[in-house]
Amino acid sequence: MALRLPSKVLKHILSFIDSNEDRNSVSLVCKSWFETERKTRKRVFVGNCYAVTPAAVARRFPEMRSLTLKGKPHFADYNLVPDGWGGYACPWIEAMAAKSPSLEEIRLKRMVVTDECLERIAASFKDFKVLVLTSCEGFSTDGIAAIASTCRNLRVLELRECIVEDLGGDWLSYFPETSTSLVSLDFSCLDSEVKISDLERLVSRSPNLKSLKLNPAVTLDGLVSILRRAPQLTELGTGSFAAELKPEAFTKLSKAFSNCKQLQSLSGLWDVLPEYLPALYSVCPGLTSLNLSYATVRMPDLVELLRRCSKLQKLWVMDLIEDKGLEAVASYCKELRELRVFPSEPDLDATNIPVTEQGLVYVSKGCRKLESVLYFCVQFTNAALITIARKRPNLKCFRLCVIEPFAPDYKTNEPLDKGFKAIAEGCKDLRRLSVSGLLSDKAFKYIGKHAKKVRMLSIAFAGDSDLMLHHLLSGCQSLKKLEIRDCPFGDTALLENAAKLETMRSLWMSSCFVSFGACKLLSQKMPRLNVEVIDEHPPKTRPESSPVERIYIYRTVAGPRMDTPEFVWTLHKNPEIGVSKLAIK
Amino acid sequence: MEFSNSCSSFSSSSVDSTKPSPSESSVNLSLSLTFPSTSPQREARQDWPPIKSRLRDTLKGRRGDDTSLFVKVYMEGVPIGRKLDLCAFSGYESLLENLYHMFDTLIICGKRDRKHHVLTYEDKDGDWMMVGDIPWDMFLETVRRLKITRPERY
Repeated sequence: MALRLPSKVLKHILSFIDSNEDRNSVSLVCKSWFETERKTRKRVFVGNCYAVTPAAVARRFPEMRSLTLKGKPHFADYNLVPDGWGGYACPWIEAMAAKSPSLEEIRLKRMVVTDECLERIAASFKDFKVLVLTSCEGFSTDGIAAIASTCRNLRVLELRECIVEDLGGDWLSYFPETSTSLVSLDFSCLDSEVKISDLERLVSRSPNLKSLKLNPAVTLDGLVSILRRAPQLTELGTGSFAAELKPEAFTKLSKAFSNCKQLQSLSGLWDVLPEYLPALYSVCPGLTSLNLSYATVRMPDLVELLRRCSKLQKLWVMDLIEDKGLEAVASYCKELRELRVFPSEPDLDATNIPVTEQGLVYVSKGCRKLESVLYFCVQFTNAALITIARKRPNLKCFRLCVIEPFAPDYKTNEPLDKGFKAIAEGCKDLRRLSVSGLLSDKAFKYIGKHAKKVRMLSIAFAGDSDLMLHHLLSGCQSLKKLEIRDCPFGDTALLENAAKLETMRSLWMSSCFVSFGACKLLSQKMPRLNVEVIDEHPPKTRPESSPVERIYIYRTVAGPRMDTPEFVWTLHKNPEIGVSKLAIK
Repeated sequence: MEFSNSCSSFSSSSVDSTKPSPSESSVNLSLSLTFPSTSPQREARQDWPPIKSRLRDTLKGRRGDDTSLFVKVYMEGVPIGRKLDLCAFSGYESLLENLYHMFDTLIICGKRDRKHHVLTYEDKDGDWMMVGDIPWDMFLETVRRLKITRPERY
């Protein structure tokens, strides 16, 4: 006789399991475990808002308190997804308002959120606490005002890199005088000036405020006044750091920072003048995260700052840091786990090369805990990649962007195949990989064979043929997201590996050689995939062999979506009926 | 290296499974570094290298780059706007033509007409004006966003 775990006991055990991956595994054991798990899951994550219907999610998880949703594919960040594609938050908010009124937290990434949507959130969830919108668009500051004024227990309001219709800084004044619960506020992506007195009052009455990210319109004077009222901050995003240089201004700023003894994370610093950097020196020894990606500070000033940051774990910086600056980072910032180096001159034909492969090699050698890299530079070598792989087998995320498409190893003129082979073979825990430079099909054979744990792979301007895609789809066991642009394939590989696509979240291909005929065939063959052909200028007629501009394929249990704009073709749309209207409510 | 993304220059059919050898590929491959955009002369790309818009705009702003001016275009009644680079057009005519293709409807400048969609813009002062009432260069300096009004119905 099989022993059955009483559901009370199982419930208790499950209360210790937070990871959704584990909970998903638990759900698969048997029906009773599925039932107990679903009734106890509080934090729900949906990686593709079109993979499942809002109603199904609401039904399955009655105790949901936190919902995280992602909409547009990642390449939307780089303008590869035309406006109006989709990713609407409203249907989700409507469904949750009806079925899950106890929802407290909503986190949306790359979704279209309207003011009506925000007003609905404010009105529907009585104990609403957390709103985080990342790379979202479609709303104005009026919607933010609605959240601020209505959600009495609001703790977190973060607008991360959103495109907001900015109707002015009044929204801030909508936080009622009785609101004292704020823990985190991020309005760094807004343009308009807020009334500094409103901000001062809000900060003064929020004793739990730990994270504050200001927008560039906040001046240095404003910053000083805020810091005086919130010395307990652990995360700070400054406003504009450029101002007339007055000696008193500098002293005031220095003093304000030195009082912030718990500051761990610093960002913002737009247009920072090097003369103001010493005001930050007092907080450097405590910093674990520093985002200088908007600071045009050059090498010697940067090093003066960075050599004081011995506890730094995360550094985002412009390539103005140069190889020499990275060498300094390698020797002073021994706790570094994540490095991102952004291009200061994003032109294709930039001749000025501030960083080379050597910079990344220094950091790989000196920072033993380095596990995440995003690096932009103009050219690279196999030797450097091999060294990086050898020194840092613990890398989990490696994204190299060689800005020059098809750039070979500039010393040997060979493709970068050997280098990426070393990365795939050596870094056994690699979960995310972006490749660039000149790469032949061979590189992808190695990646397919060795990159067992890679879940997300990004490829641009690479490979020779369909073999490349075939290696990846038949190889990479853990592959969940694959995004490809400007590569020369691949009807054959796509159709041969169609089954693999059901084990992945999504596949994106743009400016490749996928024919319309192949898209139709794939659609017909695989009913549990949504195959979307996205052509910004759809042709009047489509011969089977014509290449499509973009194809986005994702698994779904929600069936075909009903809100596609006219430039998205799916098998389920009847072209005779006419253009399908944008359905937004 | 010059590439063009047209079907005609790709010799074999796309469902053919022969794989070009590496030495052929650099000649036969038709990969585009310029995808269909509103202006073929534009140098700066909006999608390469892969950095987010915020950073791209900040860097352009710093360089005093006036080679592009992105504004949102809204069709009355539709909350989601489309982005348009006004610097890509030589004047009002080419702007209207592009809008015609983008929204699949005839749009006119000038006096409000009951039958047609009319193009209006919001200027620096926040006022809504008819497009076409000032010289193109002046327009570029003052325009913040565009709106296409619906024809009036009875």
